[in-house]
Amino acid sequence: MSETIALTPEAAPHADFAVARRPSLLRALLRDPLGAAALAVVLLVVLAALLAPWIAPGDPYGGDLANTLKAPGEAGLLGTDGQGRDMITRLLFGLRTTLGMGISAVVIGCGLGGLAGFAAAYYPAASGVVMRLMDVLLSFPAILFGLALTAIVGPGLRAVVIALSVATVPLMARVVRGAALVVLRQDYIEGARALGMSDARILTRYVLLNCLSPIFVFVTLRFGQVILLGATLSFIGLGAQPPTPELGAMAADGRNFLFFAPHVAVLPSLVIFVIVLAFNVLGDSLRDALDPRLRR
Amino acid sequence: MKLATTALAAGISALCLAPAAAQTRAPLSILRVIDADRYDPVRSTATSAAEVIFMLADTLVSLDFDMKTIKPLLATSWTVSPDGRTYTFDLRRDVKFCDGRPMTAEDVVYSFKRWIDPATRSPVAARAGFVKDIRAADDHTVVYELKEPSSDLLYQLTLSFASVVDKAAVEALGQNFGVQGFNATGPYCWASWTPRQELVMKRNPHYTWGPPIYRNPAPQIDQIVWKIVPEANTMMAAMQTRQADVTYYPPHIAIDTMKRVPGLNVQQQKNYIYDVFVGFKVNKPVVEDGTIRRAANMAVNKDAIAKAVYFGNGTPMHALLSPTVIDYDAKAASLMPAFDPAGAARLLDAEGWKPGPDGVRVKDGRRASFTLYGIRNDTGPRITEAMQADLRKVGIDMQIQLWDATVAWGKLATQEFDAFILSYPYVTATEALNLYFKSTQAPTPNRMNWKDAKTDALLDAASTANDPAARTEANAEAQRLLTQANVWIPLVTQQMWLVSGDRVEGARPHGLYGAGLYKGLDLSLKR
Repeated sequence: MSETIALTPEAAPHADFAVARRPSLLRALLRDPLGAAALAVVLLVVLAALLAPWIAPGDPYGGDLANTLKAPGEAGLLGTDGQGRDMITRLLFGLRTTLGMGISAVVIGCGLGGLAGFAAAYYPAASGVVMRLMDVLLSFPAILFGLALTAIVGPGLRAVVIALSVATVPLMARVVRGAALVVLRQDYIEGARALGMSDARILTRYVLLNCLSPIFVFVTLRFGQVILLGATLSFIGLGAQPPTPELGAMAADGRNFLFFAPHVAVLPSLVIFVIVLAFNVLGDSLRDALDPRLRR
Repeated sequence: MKLATTALAAGISALCLAPAAAQTRAPLSILRVIDADRYDPVRSTATSAAEVIFMLADTLVSLDFDMKTIKPLLATSWTVSPDGRTYTFDLRRDVKFCDGRPMTAEDVVYSFKRWIDPATRSPVAARAGFVKDIRAADDHTVVYELKEPSSDLLYQLTLSFASVVDKAAVEALGQNFGVQGFNATGPYCWASWTPRQELVMKRNPHYTWGPPIYRNPAPQIDQIVWKIVPEANTMMAAMQTRQADVTYYPPHIAIDTMKRVPGLNVQQQKNYIYDVFVGFKVNKPVVEDGTIRRAANMAVNKDAIAKAVYFGNGTPMHALLSPTVIDYDAKAASLMPAFDPAGAARLLDAEGWKPGPDGVRVKDGRRASFTLYGIRNDTGPRITEAMQADLRKVGIDMQIQLWDATVAWGKLATQEFDAFILSYPYVTATEALNLYFKSTQAPTPNRMNWKDAKTDALLDAASTANDPAARTEANAEAQRLLTQANVWIPLVTQQMWLVSGDRVEGARPHGLYGAGLYKGLDLSLKR
């Protein structure tokens, strides 16, 4: 019995993935100039968001109505918004809210979607029901779902995170199920079953680890989409409520001054653009780096 | 040869004239930001409905540009009995509906009875006063009998709710009256409505009975198109590029720029009354404390809001009601707390509201925190954020929840919130105070749940006064009481700016119930 247990780790292909691939993945990523740049931007954005309370030059909430809509350079490096608040400070804290919203939605959505996908792949009897349920969820546009949700729970980040999570679940479930079905056909899975391993152990030790490549790529690409959708929901007033700084809401606040103080709408829009672009490029590079054929 | 030449000349003339004949004058295009849910006079309280209905239908009396003087319209004259309970209106003889049918007193009686009929469930039925009977003495005389005098009746009869409509059209269309069609005696007739896009109206060919506040009693424009343009920049661009002719919803930030654009005519209606205020639900935790309400009133910088949010095109309010309104009381205004954040902090300290660890004050384990509901429009977010920042400075936390206009009215009818922000049009103090502060008006529009016997008695005295002096005194007393109770934080009186293009002549801002063009008379197009 003890021999059986001792054999399993060595027999598992994930060990090879875990030990040998990780360093080469980063190297492969850095070899691609676009991927490296995207990674740098993502790290910079995350760092700026984390350090916002320490590096922001002003108070994100304290306004000065005598000093509103100042152009960049006129008051602070990037000017002030409609409440006379420093734009750099609002952007840094807005980044924090937007990224927090995106991470929450992706973690919840991908977590639930992943579970559903693995369950559908591993238990063929449940596959039909689970995937039809996912089809139903897919039929709800995220923005419409967000609108309906805010009518029930009220506008706010909670409603946006729920809406984006729900929109992410079926997409993730499809990706995971597809990848898991390929892994489940492998001989080593049959071997693991023959050895009497539990379903949970097979799923976590073998199936999950061998599905990580498509999951990484999906999560990275989805993060960019979620940021954009979240900003859109906030732009139409369903997301962050005043005075919480959020990039989409900030762009919405600034649109009424587009002709007179364009920086109020343009700067947060530009930041959203850069984040989404960086995550999309990173996702593409990650996909290339994780594809053994392309890496060669 | 001569025949051929003549034929050729005629042909060339026909070719030259054909485009001219085919080219009709483009309709007058009016831009606004929001559509109404329907255009039935007694079933909608929206300004967006009233501004259209004023052109489609007429009332017995009209209101002058001074927002004070009652003038004739469908009624050429009227008398009031000595006890103030019976109004007798003498009607014009030449009035016709859009379909050509002559209007009689029976049409007026039908319209008014429909307005107050409980079956109609009109949200504005109370504006008609306590009606005993409305009857036609003859074809051109209407007798309006009240159970008790209504000092505000004539002003209420200028509003679109008191419009005369065609019984046959109402009965034919049922619930779809004002949705699929309309027939009344206004200067313009209903042509079509595409909700949230445009409403088209055509000139009433019979109309010659416009109110004497206009130079020309007949409409001059063949067709008017009301277009919905919710986005401020698009609206401004449309006006600057002459894609539209008129708007009285210019973005506040753009008014000064528009004044400088050659060919655009920008006019202000100085007597316009449309106030923005914050109301407190006085029976909800935290804001039930008069100290919190007074401190909040002292902490909010109304001058700064008027300047920053309205770019100087709003007038800060330092009284419960606008100084231009009938029965405005200067003494009540003097009781309104002035902007004094340090004083607000001292007041809260003295009343036991001590700063908590997060800066928000606490008393008896309760945080000085409340939730405000409002409508997400062009100014709502900016006003509330500015208030929020002001209140935070004195240790009061105001949570803001703004709703899209489609759900806001439903939300504002609930008891979920502690305070709300709204704006409203009015003409007299009697109207404003009776609308919002009578206990019978709770829970809406008396969203404050203000139920006070003394207020009710004063408002009853004002609305049933047969003597103007008695009415003024009762209204003044009510204003003082309500000001001292800090039930509202009056913020800003919005200004009305009418922007018209160089194709338009005769445009003059009116503003009754927010309707910038009122009857749309005197307007004409140069090309």
